[in-house]
Amino acid sequence: MSYFAMALAWLFVALALMVAGLGFPAAHLASPDTLVLVHVVCIGWLSVAMCGALFQFVPVLVAKPLFSERWALPALGLLTAGLASLLAGFLGLGGRLPAWLWLLPLGAVLLVGGFGLVVVDLGLTAWLRPVGPARFVLVGLASLCATVAFGAMFAFTHAGWPGSIGETILTSGVPLHAIAGLGGWLTLTAMGVSYRLLSMFMLSPDVEDRKSSMTLAAGALAVAVAVIGGIVAIWLVSGLNVVLSIAAVLGLATAALYGRDLIGIFSGRKRRQLELNTRMAVLSFASLAAAGLLGVVLVLTGAFAAHVGAFTFLAVFGWLSGLVLAKLYKIVAFLTWLETYGPVMGRAPTPRVQDLVAEARASKWFVIYYVAVWFGTLTLVAGQASLFRAAAAMMTVGLAGIVREVIRTRRLADVARSLRFPDGACAPHLLFARA
Amino acid sequence: MTNQLVDRIRDALRVVIDPELGHNIIDLGFVYEISVIDGAVRIAMTATTPGCPAIRFLEEGVASAAERVPGVRSVDIVMTFDPPWTPSRIEPIVRASLGFAAVN
Repeated sequence: MSYFAMALAWLFVALALMVAGLGFPAAHLASPDTLVLVHVVCIGWLSVAMCGALFQFVPVLVAKPLFSERWALPALGLLTAGLASLLAGFLGLGGRLPAWLWLLPLGAVLLVGGFGLVVVDLGLTAWLRPVGPARFVLVGLASLCATVAFGAMFAFTHAGWPGSIGETILTSGVPLHAIAGLGGWLTLTAMGVSYRLLSMFMLSPDVEDRKSSMTLAAGALAVAVAVIGGIVAIWLVSGLNVVLSIAAVLGLATAALYGRDLIGIFSGRKRRQLELNTRMAVLSFASLAAAGLLGVVLVLTGAFAAHVGAFTFLAVFGWLSGLVLAKLYKIVAFLTWLETYGPVMGRAPTPRVQDLVAEARASKWFVIYYVAVWFGTLTLVAGQASLFRAAAAMMTVGLAGIVREVIRTRRLADVARSLRFPDGACAPHLLFARA
Repeated sequence: MTNQLVDRIRDALRVVIDPELGHNIIDLGFVYEISVIDGAVRIAMTATTPGCPAIRFLEEGVASAAERVPGVRSVDIVMTFDPPWTPSRIEPIVRASLGFAAVN
């Protein structure tokens, strides 16, 4: 729960920056202000939320307990301190704070420590039974290592430490860092977890191992081609176009195969009525498909480089953030139920998980969020920075509504009074889960 | 006498629900077998998904509910996924209320 609370706090920070007009599109993609915004979103929001979700779900994927429960909180502390240091370093680069560039390598070291704990803890847990979705997590964690390695090298280079090799990698390697992070770490992991969550909540048979292996192989190959091929290309000073084109084709194939797997899960479900979290996840899948389509159109019209920001925005906020928010809504309700009512089962009547939420009320906030993201994408394509700020404000309204619903869930505000506190049940803390 | 005790235990277990499906585990067909020998109860049961975090609470809830039945001296819970649970095990009237697809 602490991970989710921290992640949501960072998402509010990111939206506030966007509403205020800091970073892209008001500033250049490579500007220090944009680096602040990008890292708040990718580390503070998405990575922290993903780590929190994985600490809950990797044990479910492999039906074994976590390697170490105790590492989760120190990891969150290191990630938070590392991100704060990194952001202060970026603000120093941009002249908004004193130019204490040592903050960048310090941030990198702290982030390596935090992500290191996460990778070892989750990796050793998933390694116990590396089948199906757990393999996606393992590839995702390997991609996280590559992302962090690139990032650390960039941070040290900005501080003037690694010399010419670092400068060369920094000049050309940013797309590889982004692909390993957004594609390998966040997207492949989200895909893996979604397979299990969708099957579990819709009572659908698991995707055939052969099919999910094919999807994972395409995704892993896309990331490997981009990262390893990209490093070789930089080494040979041959340009990244060929490598990135091959990786893009493989990325599209991965998205298409994932779509095929999702259709299989939805058509094989035993539970016909879809809960809100699943209906909203469908909008994130649609955003992934739309991002793929937008990417193809931009490449064919020769406008990809000019609109890479719009493509990335749709992938980050429509696909990844949308899926995380939809599943967070369900995960918080489920964890709150386990924490409050699990211990009194068999002793008193208990409510259902669905009794902890009010889906009709929550759905409008999700719709506002998604419409705002799609509108924001259009404003970026059209180059309307001021309208983009309006879209960011609308996203903030949607997010505030979703967070309000999550807080109501934690407070059991929607549970019927007669069932709310059976004898022996304890009220959950807003930010810390006991279960 | 033993059959009556098994029936009382079965009734007592109706207080335990699956948190997701929202119905008691007896109507959902989670309980495969209840046997009693001299007040020692053995319950073989399942859940919808292996690895589900609610399994521990389901086991504890079943043990707790069974222990409260007069005549029960001890309770042994066996959680099994063989055979795996399917919606075909749900009582038909409950299945209809859950909006399930035709069971296959």
